[in-house]
Amino acid sequence: MMKLIGAVFIIVATTWTGMEASRHLSERPRQLRQLKSALQSLEAEIMFGHTPLHEASRRLATQLSKPLSKLFEVFAKKLMYSETTVKKAWEESLTEIWKLTALKQGEFEIMKQFGETLGRHDRISQQKQIMLTLTHLEREERDAIDKQVKYEKMVKSLGFLLGLLLIILFI
Amino acid sequence: MGLEVDIIFKIAGVGIVVAFLHTVLDQVGKKEYAQWVTLFGFIYILFQVATIVDDLFQKIKSVFLFQ
Repeated sequence: MMKLIGAVFIIVATTWTGMEASRHLSERPRQLRQLKSALQSLEAEIMFGHTPLHEASRRLATQLSKPLSKLFEVFAKKLMYSETTVKKAWEESLTEIWKLTALKQGEFEIMKQFGETLGRHDRISQQKQIMLTLTHLEREERDAIDKQVKYEKMVKSLGFLLGLLLIILFI
Repeated sequence: MGLEVDIIFKIAGVGIVVAFLHTVLDQVGKKEYAQWVTLFGFIYILFQVATIVDDLFQKIKSVFLFQ
């Protein structure tokens, strides 16, 4: 009886781990897409709305969904209530939020570079910078989708099979 | 007798699971991991079988070469 309970525990734990890993894999392209649309709306706000940066990012925060909306929320708050440069505020909010997302180091570097150009140029070059960031993100997204297709199923079945193997070895 | 049946089932189970792992890893192109998994499964079973065969030899020894 005890053995059976232990076996169930092991299999639940390993299967859950596999599920979590595959969720992480499928979450990354979705969040990258969201990030891209966020940058596009930011571009629209800058080009056509002439909105100040904190205002624009506050609006973006209301438009987006959970992990990424937090980024713009924190960024807007930092811009409004504390004495920092845009670059510093952007970097700080990125590092603050990054743990909550499924995104990787490559995207982090891209976004950091984007933050360095944010708010330092006129509208036209700002638009160019956004375009550049978008193409970088596009590349990352393609990579993420590739990885998802390749590894999502593998990770799931790997978790389950590893649990099964452990049970057989322990009994 | 019960013990022997148990061990046979265990070996069969390890074989099936390792075979599945091998195919899954093979499909996504991780051939080297697949081979390592198979190798470790094989070594584990080899140890099991070696201990059983050792038991058998001890028994034969005690039957024919009684000290």
